[in-house]
Amino acid sequence: MSMLAAKRALTDIVNNKFLNIVSILTISLSVFILSAFILFFINATDFLDGWRKGVRIIAYMADGVSEEQRQVMVDAIQTSDAAEDIKFVSKEEAYKELKQNIGEQSSLLDGLDKNPLPDSLEITLKDGVRSQEDIEKLANRISGLPNVDDVEYAQKWLHRFNGVYNLFKVTGGVLASIFFIATLLIIANTIRMIMFSRREEIEIIRIVGADENFVKYPLYIEAVLQGFLGGVIGIVTLFLAFVLTVPGLSMEGAFSFFEMRFIPVKFSLAIVLCSMMIGWIGCYFSIRKFLKL
Amino acid sequence: MFVMHKDNTIIRMFRVSKRYGKMEALSDLTLEIRNNEFVFITGPSGAGKSTMIKLLYMGEIASEGAIIIDGVYMERITRKQIPHLRRKFGVIFQDFKLIPTKTVFQNVALVLEVLGVKPKEIQPRVMEALERVGIDDRAGELPPVLSGGEKQRVAVARAIVGEPKIILADEPTGSLDPDSASHIFQLLQEAHATGTTVVVATHDQHMINTGHGRVIRLVKGHLNPDDEARRIERGMDP
Ligand SMILES: Nc1ncnc2c1ncn2[C@@H]1O[C@H](COP(=O)(O)OP(=O)(O)OP(=O)(O)O)[C@@H](O)[C@H]1O
Ligand SMILES: [Mg+2]
Repeated sequence: MSMLAAKRALTDIVNNKFLNIVSILTISLSVFILSAFILFFINATDFLDGWRKGVRIIAYMADGVSEEQRQVMVDAIQTSDAAEDIKFVSKEEAYKELKQNIGEQSSLLDGLDKNPLPDSLEITLKDGVRSQEDIEKLANRISGLPNVDDVEYAQKWLHRFNGVYNLFKVTGGVLASIFFIATLLIIANTIRMIMFSRREEIEIIRIVGADENFVKYPLYIEAVLQGFLGGVIGIVTLFLAFVLTVPGLSMEGAFSFFEMRFIPVKFSLAIVLCSMMIGWIGCYFSIRKFLKL
Repeated sequence: MFVMHKDNTIIRMFRVSKRYGKMEALSDLTLEIRNNEFVFITGPSGAGKSTMIKLLYMGEIASEGAIIIDGVYMERITRKQIPHLRRKFGVIFQDFKLIPTKTVFQNVALVLEVLGVKPKEIQPRVMEALERVGIDDRAGELPPVLSGGEKQRVAVARAIVGEPKIILADEPTGSLDPDSASHIFQLLQEAHATGTTVVVATHDQHMINTGHGRVIRLVKGHLNPDDEARRIERGMDP
Protein backbone atom coordinates (compact mmCIF):
# COMPACT_ATOMS: atom_id res chain seq x y z
CA MET A 1 0.00 0.00 0.00
CA SER A 2 1.36 3.30 -1.01
CA MET A 3 1.73 6.45 0.98
CA LEU A 4 -0.80 8.01 -1.37
CA ALA A 5 -3.44 5.51 -0.30
CA ALA A 6 -2.74 6.32 3.33
CA LYS A 7 -2.98 10.00 2.55
CA ARG A 8 -6.27 9.51 0.78
CA ALA A 9 -7.56 7.48 3.72
CA LEU A 10 -6.75 10.37 6.05
CA THR A 11 -8.44 12.89 3.77
CA ASP A 12 -11.44 10.56 3.66
CA ILE A 13 -11.60 10.40 7.42
CA VAL A 14 -11.51 14.19 7.64
CA ASN A 15 -14.18 14.45 4.94
CA ASN A 16 -16.39 11.91 6.65
CA LYS A 17 -15.80 13.11 10.21
CA PHE A 18 -19.27 12.45 11.48
CA LEU A 19 -19.50 8.92 10.13
CA ASN A 20 -16.06 8.09 11.42
CA ILE A 21 -16.72 9.47 14.86
CA VAL A 22 -19.96 7.53 15.12
CA SER A 23 -18.30 4.31 14.10
CA ILE A 24 -15.28 4.79 16.34
CA LEU A 25 -17.57 5.53 19.29
CA THR A 26 -19.70 2.49 18.55
CA ILE A 27 -16.62 0.31 18.38
CA SER A 28 -15.16 1.78 21.55
CA LEU A 29 -18.42 1.29 23.41
CA SER A 30 -18.61 -2.36 22.49
CA VAL A 31 -14.93 -2.88 23.27
CA PHE A 32 -15.54 -1.13 26.60
CA ILE A 33 -18.38 -3.45 27.51
CA LEU A 34 -16.48 -6.56 26.48
CA SER A 35 -13.36 -5.45 28.36
CA ALA A 36 -15.37 -4.49 31.44
CA PHE A 37 -16.68 -8.00 31.52
CA ILE A 38 -13.21 -9.44 31.04
CA LEU A 39 -11.91 -7.19 33.81
CA PHE A 40 -14.62 -8.38 36.14
CA PHE A 41 -13.99 -11.98 35.21
CA ILE A 42 -10.23 -11.78 35.70
CA ASN A 43 -10.64 -10.24 39.14
CA ALA A 44 -13.40 -12.55 40.25
CA THR A 45 -11.21 -15.48 39.24
CA ASP A 46 -8.26 -13.99 41.11
CA PHE A 47 -10.44 -13.47 44.13
CA LEU A 48 -11.75 -17.01 44.18
CA ASP A 49 -8.25 -18.35 43.55
CA GLY A 50 -6.99 -16.34 46.48
CA TRP A 51 -9.63 -17.86 48.65
CA ARG A 52 -8.75 -21.31 47.54
CA LYS A 53 -5.11 -20.65 48.27
CA GLY A 54 -6.21 -19.85 51.78
CA VAL A 55 -7.35 -23.43 52.23
CA ARG A 56 -5.13 -25.02 54.86
CA ILE A 57 -4.93 -28.31 56.62
CA ILE A 58 -4.41 -28.11 60.34
CA ALA A 59 -3.00 -31.12 62.12
CA TYR A 60 -3.56 -31.10 65.88
CA MET A 61 -0.87 -32.94 67.75
CA ALA A 62 -1.15 -35.19 70.75
CA ASP A 63 -0.02 -33.78 74.07
CA GLY A 64 3.67 -33.77 74.88
CA VAL A 65 5.13 -34.45 71.45
CA SER A 66 8.85 -33.92 71.43
CA GLU A 67 10.71 -31.80 68.91
CA GLU A 68 12.20 -34.92 67.28
CA GLN A 69 8.80 -36.53 66.92
CA ARG A 70 7.51 -33.34 65.42
CA GLN A 71 10.33 -33.26 62.90
CA VAL A 72 9.43 -36.80 61.86
CA MET A 73 5.88 -35.62 61.20
CA VAL A 74 7.03 -32.64 59.18
CA ASP A 75 9.34 -34.82 57.09
CA ALA A 76 6.56 -37.27 56.44
CA ILE A 77 4.22 -34.52 55.26
CA GLN A 78 6.93 -33.05 53.08
CA THR A 79 7.51 -36.30 51.23
CA SER A 80 3.95 -36.10 49.96
CA ASP A 81 5.10 -33.14 47.86
CA ALA A 82 1.80 -31.34 48.30
CA ALA A 83 2.71 -28.93 51.07
CA GLU A 84 3.95 -25.49 50.23
CA ASP A 85 4.71 -24.54 53.77
CA ILE A 86 4.43 -26.21 57.13
CA LYS A 87 4.20 -23.94 60.11
CA PHE A 88 4.40 -25.04 63.70
CA VAL A 89 1.99 -23.26 66.01
CA SER A 90 2.66 -23.96 69.66
CA LYS A 91 -0.22 -24.16 72.09
CA GLU A 92 1.00 -20.89 73.65
CA GLU A 93 0.97 -19.08 70.32
CA ALA A 94 -2.48 -20.48 69.56
CA TYR A 95 -3.71 -19.25 72.91
CA LYS A 96 -2.32 -15.78 72.32
CA GLU A 97 -3.91 -15.63 68.91
CA LEU A 98 -7.24 -16.78 70.26
CA LYS A 99 -7.09 -14.11 72.95
CA GLN A 100 -6.35 -11.48 70.38
CA ASN A 101 -9.13 -12.62 68.12
CA ILE A 102 -11.83 -12.46 70.72
CA GLY A 103 -10.45 -9.13 71.96
CA GLU A 104 -12.76 -7.51 74.49
CA GLN A 105 -14.22 -10.76 75.58
CA SER A 106 -10.80 -12.20 76.41
CA SER A 107 -11.80 -12.16 80.07
CA LEU A 108 -13.93 -15.18 79.21
CA LEU A 109 -10.71 -17.14 79.00
CA ASP A 110 -9.57 -16.05 82.42
CA GLY A 111 -11.75 -18.70 84.02
CA LEU A 112 -9.69 -21.47 82.44
CA ASP A 113 -6.96 -22.76 84.74
CA LYS A 114 -4.93 -24.21 81.87
CA ASN A 115 -4.52 -23.69 78.15
CA PRO A 116 -6.98 -26.05 76.42
CA LEU A 117 -5.42 -25.72 73.00
CA PRO A 118 -3.06 -28.33 71.49
CA ASP A 119 0.10 -27.75 69.49
CA SER A 120 -0.58 -27.84 65.78
CA LEU A 121 0.94 -27.79 62.30
CA GLU A 122 -0.55 -25.45 59.71
CA ILE A 123 -0.03 -26.82 56.25
CA THR A 124 -0.54 -24.53 53.27
CA LEU A 125 -0.92 -26.31 49.99
CA LYS A 126 1.04 -26.06 46.80
CA ASP A 127 -0.59 -24.30 43.84
CA GLY A 128 -1.28 -27.53 42.03
CA VAL A 129 -3.10 -29.05 44.97
CA ARG A 130 -6.54 -27.58 44.72
CA SER A 131 -9.02 -30.29 43.98
CA GLN A 132 -11.26 -31.77 46.55
CA GLU A 133 -9.70 -35.22 46.08
CA ASP A 134 -6.11 -34.03 46.46
CA ILE A 135 -6.88 -32.25 49.67
CA GLU A 136 -8.82 -35.15 51.11
CA LYS A 137 -6.05 -37.57 50.21
CA LEU A 138 -3.43 -35.47 51.93
CA ALA A 139 -5.62 -34.93 54.99
CA ASN A 140 -6.18 -38.67 55.33
CA ARG A 141 -2.47 -39.31 55.08
CA ILE A 142 -1.69 -36.80 57.77
CA SER A 143 -4.30 -38.16 60.13
CA GLY A 144 -2.69 -41.57 59.75
CA LEU A 145 0.65 -40.30 61.06
CA PRO A 146 1.62 -41.13 64.64
CA ASN A 147 1.00 -38.43 67.24
CA VAL A 148 -1.67 -36.70 65.17
CA ASP A 149 -4.84 -36.32 67.17
CA ASP A 150 -7.07 -34.76 64.64
CA VAL A 151 -7.02 -33.14 61.21
CA GLU A 152 -9.13 -30.20 60.26
CA TYR A 153 -9.89 -28.68 56.89
CA ALA A 154 -12.90 -26.93 55.46
CA GLN A 155 -14.28 -30.04 53.94
CA LYS A 156 -17.92 -29.27 53.19
CA TRP A 157 -17.28 -25.69 52.49
CA LEU A 158 -14.52 -26.53 50.06
CA HIS A 159 -16.76 -28.95 48.30
CA ARG A 160 -19.46 -26.41 47.69
CA PHE A 161 -16.98 -23.75 46.84
CA ASN A 162 -15.45 -25.86 44.12
CA GLY A 163 -18.87 -26.27 42.56
CA VAL A 164 -19.48 -22.54 42.56
CA TYR A 165 -16.01 -21.89 41.24
CA ASN A 166 -16.44 -24.23 38.30
CA LEU A 167 -19.89 -22.91 37.52
CA PHE A 168 -18.51 -19.41 37.59
CA LYS A 169 -15.73 -20.30 35.19
CA VAL A 170 -18.07 -21.98 32.74
CA THR A 171 -20.74 -19.26 32.73
CA GLY A 172 -17.99 -16.63 32.54
CA GLY A 173 -16.49 -18.36 29.53
CA VAL A 174 -19.85 -18.63 27.83
CA LEU A 175 -20.74 -15.01 28.57
CA ALA A 176 -17.35 -13.82 27.37
CA SER A 177 -17.86 -15.68 24.09
CA ILE A 178 -21.29 -14.13 23.68
CA PHE A 179 -19.91 -10.67 24.40
CA PHE A 180 -17.07 -11.33 22.01
CA ILE A 181 -19.38 -12.37 19.20
CA ALA A 182 -21.66 -9.40 19.87
CA THR A 183 -18.68 -7.06 19.72
CA LEU A 184 -17.54 -8.70 16.54
CA LEU A 185 -20.94 -8.26 14.92
CA ILE A 186 -21.24 -4.67 16.07
CA ILE A 187 -17.85 -3.70 14.68
CA ALA A 188 -18.36 -5.55 11.41
CA ASN A 189 -21.80 -4.03 11.07
CA THR A 190 -20.60 -0.51 11.75
CA ILE A 191 -18.02 -0.87 9.02
CA ARG A 192 -20.71 -2.27 6.74
CA MET A 193 -22.95 0.68 7.46
CA ILE A 194 -20.18 3.06 6.53
CA MET A 195 -19.51 1.24 3.29
CA PHE A 196 -23.18 1.19 2.49
CA SER A 197 -23.54 4.90 3.00
CA ARG A 198 -20.53 5.48 0.79
CA ARG A 199 -21.34 3.16 -2.06
CA GLU A 200 -22.41 6.00 -4.33
CA GLU A 201 -19.18 7.85 -3.75
CA ILE A 202 -17.27 4.68 -4.50
CA GLU A 203 -19.31 4.15 -7.65
CA ILE A 204 -18.28 7.64 -8.79
CA ILE A 205 -14.63 6.93 -8.08
CA ARG A 206 -14.88 3.86 -10.24
CA ILE A 207 -16.58 5.68 -13.09
CA VAL A 208 -13.64 8.05 -13.34
CA GLY A 209 -11.42 5.03 -13.88
CA ALA A 210 -10.13 3.99 -10.48
CA ASP A 211 -8.92 0.41 -10.25
CA GLU A 212 -9.77 -1.95 -7.42
CA ASN A 213 -6.76 -1.14 -5.31
CA PHE A 214 -7.29 2.59 -5.60
CA VAL A 215 -10.75 2.08 -4.11
CA LYS A 216 -9.89 -0.65 -1.64
CA TYR A 217 -6.67 0.43 0.05
CA PRO A 218 -8.02 3.58 1.71
CA LEU A 219 -11.14 1.69 2.82
CA TYR A 220 -9.03 -0.98 4.48
CA ILE A 221 -6.78 1.60 6.09
CA GLU A 222 -9.83 3.44 7.39
CA ALA A 223 -11.52 0.32 8.73
CA VAL A 224 -8.38 -0.89 10.49
CA LEU A 225 -7.76 2.58 11.88
CA GLN A 226 -11.34 2.73 13.15
CA GLY A 227 -10.88 -0.65 14.80
CA PHE A 228 -7.63 0.54 16.34
CA LEU A 229 -8.96 3.84 17.65
CA GLY A 230 -12.21 2.26 18.83
CA GLY A 231 -10.27 -0.45 20.65
CA VAL A 232 -7.80 1.94 22.26
CA ILE A 233 -10.50 4.39 23.34
CA GLY A 234 -12.61 1.55 24.78
CA ILE A 235 -9.71 0.11 26.78
CA VAL A 236 -8.33 3.47 27.92
CA THR A 237 -11.77 4.59 29.07
CA LEU A 238 -12.14 1.40 31.06
CA PHE A 239 -8.67 1.89 32.52
CA LEU A 240 -9.53 5.43 33.64
CA ALA A 241 -12.77 4.22 35.16
CA PHE A 242 -10.79 1.49 36.92
CA VAL A 243 -8.14 3.83 38.28
CA LEU A 244 -10.76 6.29 39.49
CA THR A 245 -13.04 3.81 41.25
CA VAL A 246 -10.84 1.01 42.58
CA PRO A 247 -9.02 2.91 45.37
CA GLY A 248 -12.47 3.62 46.79
CA LEU A 249 -13.25 -0.07 47.13
CA SER A 250 -11.60 -1.09 50.36
CA MET A 251 -10.29 -4.61 50.51
CA GLU A 252 -9.67 -5.06 54.17
CA GLY A 253 -10.17 -7.71 56.77
CA ALA A 254 -11.01 -11.09 55.30
CA PHE A 255 -10.34 -9.82 51.77
CA SER A 256 -6.96 -8.31 52.44
CA PHE A 257 -5.26 -11.07 50.46
CA PHE A 258 -6.93 -9.78 47.35
CA GLU A 259 -5.79 -6.90 45.20
CA MET A 260 -7.78 -5.76 42.14
CA ARG A 261 -5.76 -5.62 38.97
CA PHE A 262 -6.47 -4.28 35.48
CA ILE A 263 -6.56 -6.45 32.37
CA PRO A 264 -2.92 -7.40 31.71
CA VAL A 265 -1.18 -5.30 29.05
CA LYS A 266 -0.74 -8.23 26.67
CA PHE A 267 -4.40 -9.05 26.93
CA SER A 268 -5.35 -5.40 26.33
CA LEU A 269 -3.16 -5.31 23.26
CA ALA A 270 -4.80 -8.50 22.04
CA ILE A 271 -8.21 -6.86 22.39
CA VAL A 272 -7.09 -3.86 20.33
CA LEU A 273 -5.54 -6.18 17.76
CA CYS A 274 -8.80 -8.12 17.57
CA SER A 275 -10.72 -4.93 17.07
CA MET A 276 -8.41 -4.00 14.18
CA MET A 277 -8.76 -7.43 12.66
CA ILE A 278 -12.52 -7.29 12.86
CA GLY A 279 -12.36 -3.92 11.11
CA TRP A 280 -10.36 -5.54 8.36
CA ILE A 281 -12.73 -8.49 8.08
CA GLY A 282 -15.80 -6.23 8.14
CA CYS A 283 -14.23 -4.21 5.36
CA TYR A 284 -13.45 -7.33 3.36
CA PHE A 285 -17.03 -8.57 3.42
CA SER A 286 -18.60 -5.16 2.82
CA ILE A 287 -16.37 -4.61 -0.17
CA ARG A 288 -17.44 -7.90 -1.61
CA LYS A 289 -21.07 -7.28 -0.88
CA PHE A 290 -21.59 -3.63 -1.78
CA LEU A 291 -18.80 -2.94 -4.20
CA LYS A 292 -18.73 -6.31 -5.92
CA LEU A 293 -14.97 -6.06 -6.06
CA MET B 1 -6.22 -6.09 -25.03
CA PHE B 2 -7.19 -6.72 -28.61
CA VAL B 3 -6.28 -3.65 -30.60
CA MET B 4 -8.07 -3.02 -33.89
CA HIS B 5 -6.66 -1.41 -36.94
CA LYS B 6 -6.55 2.32 -36.36
CA ASP B 7 -8.50 4.68 -38.57
CA ASN B 8 -10.41 7.83 -37.91
CA THR B 9 -13.21 6.02 -36.07
CA ILE B 10 -13.03 6.29 -32.31
CA ILE B 11 -16.30 4.59 -31.33
CA ARG B 12 -17.71 1.68 -33.29
CA MET B 13 -20.86 -0.19 -32.28
CA PHE B 14 -21.81 -3.25 -34.29
CA ARG B 15 -25.21 -4.93 -33.87
CA VAL B 16 -25.31 -4.01 -30.20
CA SER B 17 -28.29 -5.01 -28.07
CA LYS B 18 -28.90 -4.50 -24.39
CA ARG B 19 -31.62 -6.30 -22.50
CA TYR B 20 -32.73 -5.78 -18.91
CA GLY B 21 -34.58 -9.02 -18.30
CA LYS B 22 -37.14 -9.15 -21.10
CA MET B 23 -36.99 -5.42 -21.68
CA GLU B 24 -34.85 -4.62 -24.69
CA ALA B 25 -33.40 -1.16 -24.09
CA LEU B 26 -31.22 -1.17 -27.21
CA SER B 27 -31.83 -3.33 -30.29
CA ASP B 28 -29.32 -4.22 -32.94
CA LEU B 29 -27.60 -0.87 -32.94
CA THR B 30 -24.82 -0.25 -35.45
CA LEU B 31 -23.05 3.07 -35.69
CA GLU B 32 -19.69 4.75 -35.83
CA ILE B 33 -18.43 7.95 -34.31
CA ARG B 34 -15.32 9.59 -35.68
CA ASN B 35 -12.52 11.19 -33.84
CA ASN B 36 -13.40 14.74 -32.76
CA GLU B 37 -17.02 14.46 -33.83
CA PHE B 38 -19.71 16.26 -31.82
CA VAL B 39 -22.66 13.89 -31.57
CA PHE B 40 -26.11 14.40 -30.11
CA ILE B 41 -28.05 11.33 -29.14
CA THR B 42 -31.68 12.22 -28.86
CA GLY B 43 -35.09 10.57 -28.82
CA PRO B 44 -38.07 10.15 -26.55
CA SER B 45 -37.83 9.09 -22.94
CA GLY B 46 -37.01 5.41 -22.62
CA ALA B 47 -35.44 5.31 -26.09
CA GLY B 48 -32.16 3.97 -24.71
CA LYS B 49 -29.99 7.09 -24.70
CA SER B 50 -28.67 6.58 -21.19
CA THR B 51 -28.22 2.90 -21.87
CA MET B 52 -26.02 3.67 -24.85
CA ILE B 53 -23.86 6.04 -22.80
CA LYS B 54 -23.53 3.40 -20.07
CA LEU B 55 -22.44 0.77 -22.55
CA LEU B 56 -19.73 3.11 -23.81
CA TYR B 57 -18.10 3.70 -20.41
CA MET B 58 -18.78 0.08 -19.43
CA GLY B 59 -21.21 0.98 -16.69
CA GLU B 60 -23.21 -1.82 -18.27
CA ILE B 61 -22.17 -4.69 -20.51
CA ALA B 62 -23.87 -5.23 -23.86
CA SER B 63 -26.04 -8.33 -24.17
CA GLU B 64 -25.01 -8.80 -27.79
CA GLY B 65 -22.81 -7.23 -30.39
CA ALA B 66 -19.42 -5.61 -30.44
CA ILE B 67 -18.23 -2.23 -29.19
CA ILE B 68 -14.79 -0.98 -30.14
CA ILE B 69 -13.48 2.16 -28.49
CA ASP B 70 -10.26 3.78 -29.62
CA GLY B 71 -9.16 0.48 -31.09
CA VAL B 72 -10.03 -1.56 -28.00
CA TYR B 73 -12.53 -4.34 -28.48
CA MET B 74 -14.58 -4.40 -25.31
CA GLU B 75 -15.54 -8.05 -25.47
CA ARG B 76 -11.90 -9.01 -25.09
CA ILE B 77 -11.27 -6.73 -22.19
CA THR B 78 -10.79 -8.24 -18.72
CA ARG B 79 -12.38 -6.83 -15.60
CA LYS B 80 -9.02 -5.50 -14.55
CA GLN B 81 -8.73 -3.49 -17.77
CA ILE B 82 -12.06 -1.71 -17.39
CA PRO B 83 -10.53 1.12 -15.31
CA HIS B 84 -7.95 1.76 -18.03
CA LEU B 85 -10.68 2.00 -20.61
CA ARG B 86 -12.68 4.40 -18.45
CA ARG B 87 -9.74 6.74 -18.27
CA LYS B 88 -10.29 7.50 -21.95
CA PHE B 89 -13.58 9.13 -20.98
CA GLY B 90 -14.77 12.13 -19.11
CA VAL B 91 -18.37 11.48 -18.10
CA ILE B 92 -21.00 14.08 -17.20
CA PHE B 93 -24.39 13.20 -15.70
CA GLN B 94 -27.70 14.97 -15.24
CA ASP B 95 -27.42 14.54 -11.47
CA PHE B 96 -23.77 15.72 -11.46
CA LYS B 97 -22.48 12.77 -9.42
CA LEU B 98 -20.12 14.87 -7.38
CA ILE B 99 -18.89 13.43 -4.11
CA PRO B 100 -20.66 15.55 -1.49
CA THR B 101 -18.02 15.11 1.21
CA LYS B 102 -15.15 16.19 -1.02
CA THR B 103 -14.46 19.79 -1.90
CA VAL B 104 -14.78 21.07 -5.46
CA PHE B 105 -11.00 20.87 -5.72
CA GLN B 106 -10.85 17.31 -4.37
CA ASN B 107 -13.63 16.16 -6.70
CA VAL B 108 -11.67 17.33 -9.70
CA ALA B 109 -8.30 16.22 -8.33
CA LEU B 110 -9.64 12.70 -7.92
CA VAL B 111 -9.37 12.10 -11.67
CA LEU B 112 -5.71 13.04 -11.69
CA GLU B 113 -5.01 10.86 -8.66
CA VAL B 114 -6.63 7.97 -10.47
CA LEU B 115 -4.50 8.70 -13.52
CA GLY B 116 -1.41 8.60 -11.31
CA VAL B 117 -0.42 12.20 -11.98
CA LYS B 118 2.40 13.38 -9.71
CA PRO B 119 1.01 15.15 -6.62
CA LYS B 120 2.97 18.30 -7.47
CA GLU B 121 1.27 18.61 -10.86
CA ILE B 122 -2.24 18.04 -9.55
CA GLN B 123 -2.77 21.46 -7.97
CA PRO B 124 -2.02 23.56 -11.08
CA ARG B 125 -3.92 21.27 -13.41
CA VAL B 126 -7.02 21.24 -11.23
CA MET B 127 -6.96 25.02 -10.87
CA GLU B 128 -6.59 25.41 -14.61
CA ALA B 129 -9.61 23.19 -15.25
CA LEU B 130 -11.63 25.09 -12.65
CA GLU B 131 -10.63 28.37 -14.29
CA ARG B 132 -11.71 27.07 -17.67
CA VAL B 133 -15.24 26.47 -16.37
CA GLY B 134 -15.13 29.69 -14.33
CA ILE B 135 -15.50 28.20 -10.88
CA ASP B 136 -11.96 28.47 -9.50
CA ASP B 137 -13.16 30.86 -6.78
CA ARG B 138 -15.26 28.06 -5.25
CA ALA B 139 -12.48 25.46 -5.13
CA GLY B 140 -12.68 24.99 -1.36
CA GLU B 141 -16.45 24.59 -1.14
CA LEU B 142 -18.41 21.37 -0.79
CA PRO B 143 -20.78 20.58 -3.68
CA PRO B 144 -24.01 20.75 -1.66
CA VAL B 145 -23.66 24.53 -1.25
CA LEU B 146 -23.34 25.12 -5.01
CA SER B 147 -26.18 25.86 -7.41
CA GLY B 148 -27.09 23.31 -10.07
CA GLY B 149 -25.30 25.21 -12.79
CA GLU B 150 -22.19 25.51 -10.64
CA LYS B 151 -22.23 21.83 -9.81
CA GLN B 152 -22.42 20.94 -13.45
CA ARG B 153 -19.48 23.22 -14.19
CA VAL B 154 -17.49 21.31 -11.57
CA ALA B 155 -18.56 18.10 -13.28
CA VAL B 156 -17.35 19.51 -16.61
CA ALA B 157 -14.04 20.46 -15.00
CA ARG B 158 -13.74 16.92 -13.71
CA ALA B 159 -14.53 15.58 -17.18
CA ILE B 160 -11.88 17.69 -18.92
CA VAL B 161 -9.08 17.77 -16.33
CA GLY B 162 -7.63 14.44 -17.41
CA GLU B 163 -7.67 15.48 -21.07
CA PRO B 164 -9.68 12.44 -22.15
CA LYS B 165 -10.17 11.50 -25.78
CA ILE B 166 -13.92 11.31 -25.37
CA ILE B 167 -16.45 13.20 -23.29
CA LEU B 168 -19.74 11.44 -22.64
CA ALA B 169 -22.60 13.52 -21.27
CA ASP B 170 -26.00 12.15 -20.27
CA GLU B 171 -28.57 14.96 -20.14
CA PRO B 172 -25.94 17.43 -18.89
CA THR B 173 -28.40 20.31 -18.99
CA GLY B 174 -31.46 18.34 -17.94
CA SER B 175 -31.82 19.96 -14.55
CA LEU B 176 -30.43 23.41 -15.32
CA ASP B 177 -31.98 26.78 -16.13
CA PRO B 178 -31.51 28.01 -19.73
CA ASP B 179 -28.56 30.30 -18.91
CA SER B 180 -26.62 27.65 -17.07
CA ALA B 181 -27.53 25.16 -19.78
CA SER B 182 -26.08 27.27 -22.54
CA HIS B 183 -22.95 27.86 -20.47
CA ILE B 184 -22.45 24.10 -20.09
CA PHE B 185 -23.12 23.60 -23.77
CA GLN B 186 -20.56 26.25 -24.58
CA LEU B 187 -17.99 24.47 -22.39
CA LEU B 188 -18.65 21.23 -24.23
CA GLN B 189 -18.09 23.01 -27.53
CA GLU B 190 -14.83 24.44 -26.23
CA ALA B 191 -13.69 20.93 -25.30
CA HIS B 192 -14.68 19.81 -28.77
CA ALA B 193 -12.65 22.64 -30.26
CA THR B 194 -9.53 21.32 -28.52
CA GLY B 195 -9.91 17.99 -30.30
CA THR B 196 -12.09 15.97 -27.94
CA THR B 197 -14.84 13.73 -29.23
CA VAL B 198 -18.10 14.71 -27.52
CA VAL B 199 -21.18 12.51 -27.23
CA VAL B 200 -24.19 14.16 -25.63
CA ALA B 201 -27.48 12.43 -24.87
CA THR B 202 -30.11 15.14 -24.61
CA HIS B 203 -33.72 16.20 -24.97
CA ASP B 204 -32.67 19.81 -25.29
CA GLN B 205 -33.91 20.77 -28.75
CA HIS B 206 -32.48 24.26 -28.45
CA MET B 207 -29.01 22.87 -27.83
CA ILE B 208 -29.33 20.49 -30.79
CA ASN B 209 -30.52 23.25 -33.12
CA THR B 210 -27.83 25.76 -32.21
CA GLY B 211 -25.02 23.22 -32.21
CA HIS B 212 -23.33 21.95 -35.29
CA GLY B 213 -23.23 18.36 -34.24
CA ARG B 214 -24.35 15.18 -35.84
CA VAL B 215 -27.72 13.98 -34.52
CA ILE B 216 -28.41 10.34 -33.77
CA ARG B 217 -32.06 9.73 -32.98
CA LEU B 218 -33.09 6.65 -31.04
CA VAL B 219 -36.65 5.37 -30.90
CA LYS B 220 -37.45 2.43 -28.63
CA GLY B 221 -33.89 1.22 -28.75
CA HIS B 222 -33.56 1.46 -32.52
CA LEU B 223 -31.79 3.97 -34.70
CA ASN B 224 -34.40 6.13 -36.36
CA PRO B 225 -34.35 4.91 -39.99
CA ASP B 226 -35.31 8.35 -41.38
CA ASP B 227 -32.28 9.76 -39.71
CA GLU B 228 -29.97 7.19 -41.21
CA ALA B 229 -31.49 7.85 -44.65
CA ARG B 230 -30.86 11.55 -44.31
CA ARG B 231 -27.33 10.88 -43.17
CA ILE B 232 -26.64 8.81 -46.26
CA GLU B 233 -28.17 11.50 -48.50
CA ARG B 234 -25.83 14.02 -46.98
CA GLY B 235 -22.93 11.75 -47.84
CA MET B 236 -21.97 11.14 -44.20
CA ASP B 237 -21.83 7.40 -44.58
CA PRO B 238 -18.68 6.15 -42.96
N1 LIG C 1 -31.25 -1.05 -14.79
C1 LIG C 1 -32.35 -1.21 -15.54
N2 LIG C 1 -33.19 -2.23 -15.28
C2 LIG C 1 -34.29 -2.42 -16.01
N3 LIG C 1 -34.66 -1.64 -17.03
C3 LIG C 1 -33.87 -0.60 -17.33
C4 LIG C 1 -32.68 -0.33 -16.61
N4 LIG C 1 -32.11 0.77 -17.14
C5 LIG C 1 -32.90 1.17 -18.16
N5 LIG C 1 -33.96 0.34 -18.29
C6 LIG C 1 -35.01 0.42 -19.29
O1 LIG C 1 -34.41 0.56 -20.56
C7 LIG C 1 -35.10 1.48 -21.34
C8 LIG C 1 -34.16 2.55 -21.82
O2 LIG C 1 -33.74 3.30 -20.71
P1 LIG C 1 -32.79 4.56 -20.81
O3 LIG C 1 -32.52 5.03 -19.44
O4 LIG C 1 -31.64 4.20 -21.67
O5 LIG C 1 -33.71 5.60 -21.59
P2 LIG C 1 -33.40 7.10 -21.94
O6 LIG C 1 -33.49 7.21 -23.41
O7 LIG C 1 -32.16 7.55 -21.29
O8 LIG C 1 -34.64 7.83 -21.28
P3 LIG C 1 -34.73 9.26 -20.58
O9 LIG C 1 -34.78 10.25 -21.68
O10 LIG C 1 -35.99 9.22 -19.82
O11 LIG C 1 -33.52 9.40 -19.74
C9 LIG C 1 -36.22 2.03 -20.48
O12 LIG C 1 -37.43 1.37 -20.85
C10 LIG C 1 -35.83 1.68 -19.08
O13 LIG C 1 -36.97 1.41 -18.31
MG1 LIG D 1 -31.65 8.84 -19.73
